[in-house]
Amino acid sequence: MLEPQIVVRGLSKTYRVPERNPGVGAALRSLIQRSYRSVEAVRDVSFNVAAGEVVGFIGPNGAGKTTTLKMLSGLLHPTAGEVVVMGEVPWERRPAYLRRISMVLGNKSQMLWDIPPLDSFRLLGEIYSVPPAQFRETLDELVALLELAPLLSKPVRTLSLGERMKCELVAGLLHRPAVLFLDEPTLGLDVSTQGRLRRFLGAYNRRNDVTMILTSHYMADVVALCPRVILIHHGILLYDGELDGLAHTLAPFKLIRVGLSSASQCALDLPGGVELLQRTNGSLALRVARELAPRITAQLLNTLPVVDLSVEDPPIEAVIDQIYQGDGDQEARL
Amino acid sequence: MHYLRLIRSFIDVAFQNALAYRINFWVSLLHSILDLGTGILALMVLFSQVEAIRGWTLPATLALLGTYLLLGALRRLFIGPSLEALAGMDGEIWVGTFDFTLLRPVNVQFLASVRTWQPLAVLDLLLGAVVLLTASLRLGRALALVQVLYFIVTLLAAVAILYALLLAFSALVFWSPGLLFTWLFNALFQMARYPVGLYPGWLRLVLTWVVPVGVMTTVPAQALAGGLSLGMLLGSLGLAGGLFCGASLLFRTGLRRYASASS
Repeated sequence: MLEPQIVVRGLSKTYRVPERNPGVGAALRSLIQRSYRSVEAVRDVSFNVAAGEVVGFIGPNGAGKTTTLKMLSGLLHPTAGEVVVMGEVPWERRPAYLRRISMVLGNKSQMLWDIPPLDSFRLLGEIYSVPPAQFRETLDELVALLELAPLLSKPVRTLSLGERMKCELVAGLLHRPAVLFLDEPTLGLDVSTQGRLRRFLGAYNRRNDVTMILTSHYMADVVALCPRVILIHHGILLYDGELDGLAHTLAPFKLIRVGLSSASQCALDLPGGVELLQRTNGSLALRVARELAPRITAQLLNTLPVVDLSVEDPPIEAVIDQIYQGDGDQEARL
Repeated sequence: MHYLRLIRSFIDVAFQNALAYRINFWVSLLHSILDLGTGILALMVLFSQVEAIRGWTLPATLALLGTYLLLGALRRLFIGPSLEALAGMDGEIWVGTFDFTLLRPVNVQFLASVRTWQPLAVLDLLLGAVVLLTASLRLGRALALVQVLYFIVTLLAAVAILYALLLAFSALVFWSPGLLFTWLFNALFQMARYPVGLYPGWLRLVLTWVVPVGVMTTVPAQALAGGLSLGMLLGSLGLAGGLFCGASLLFRTGLRRYASASS
């Protein structure tokens, strides 16, 4: 592995949030004496990212993905732990650091509402001190890649969500950052726009060797863009590795689909350790422990009138759903 | 240089924004004229009865009104719109778009203070200047060069005080992001229309030392009218410097509290 560009060690963030019981009485009491609760949003997270890597942060709502991203970009101070990105401590927010990173947020806009995107872009160019020639060149490249030319002179408020998101990407990339943080960049977009943005991000990464850290709830984003994923749940890092390995590590079972000859309406006598997920006329879907799969497959072939059989990894969405719902058990098991 | 170029870019953007809403121009002009009209009318009524109030003659009071209008105009021109974008339920801090301000490789306080301009406030600026000029002409031969210099220096100090007070009030949003603290300032700023000396003792103390809006207009007007002591000149400069540093410190402390709105 190359020298890591991002180093995260023992990163934790605890928020102090006010809380009170429902009702007017409690509201009045809270005026005088507020009680607080500590929320551990991120707990002891460590990982490295190499230059040019695309890493997907996945996890359910409230898992701590965005909080981690905000600490990496320097928006939040951590409660404990250290982060070094390109030799800088992000939350010192030194201009030299901020010039080399960018953040695109799917639910917040950095465009100026009442004027055309081009004017927002020019202002950003000025803020980031982008030399005019480089500004022109970068803008032309991005506009061509995102097919934005017809939108440049329309006020931003008249653009559709998808068009605006393209503008957000241009705004975030104009100063040619070396590290790009993307927080749910495809949020709320239709399927084809999502696809177009993914293709753009993938191409941009290959062309410019930009490191990207992306959070998304759409697995399609992650599958298309991120060879490596980091799974965070309840603020804890549960998995860090190749996307393909996620199912292997976190879902220690296989799916066996069996097609039976039509004559076999008989009662099933399944071997131990097999869970019947679905039975339809002439087909079975079974779940078995990963290590038992070969033996059980052989057994099924011997005992049932099998006409078709396949052994599969469970779909990634199912694995993740199981982890999201598994809560504490999952943590205990790992 | 970079910061000056940035200010120019912000003004460019502001002009485009302002031109997008044409009707605002006329409403703004009407507002300025009304503001000026009521101010002058009140003085006319007052000074038709008496020659001077506690040592304040009509020309000196006009100088004070001019200073008040000028400061109000500067506030509307950029300090107010920039800082007010932080606060309130649709403010950047509440909504979380302040994230982007923090991510810029530019001093955050500078960016938060100069990024939104209201070009129509230039009208107010002109009206304030006209009133000041009228006051100067009425002061006539009594006006020496040194008074004009003192006036410019104290006016700059007043701008610094105005900015510092607004920054301090705005910094409070980091502790309570939903509230608009500037309304409190507005109420106090209204009192700067008249010389501090006209108010009862306790209020005079508040307007001089606690929330020194009084100093902002009274001192420059006195400078122009020729009644300014060296002590007051240095005092207002010291106050401006102290408040500016204090407000900046408060703003920086507030920044550290910013937790960024959740996704």
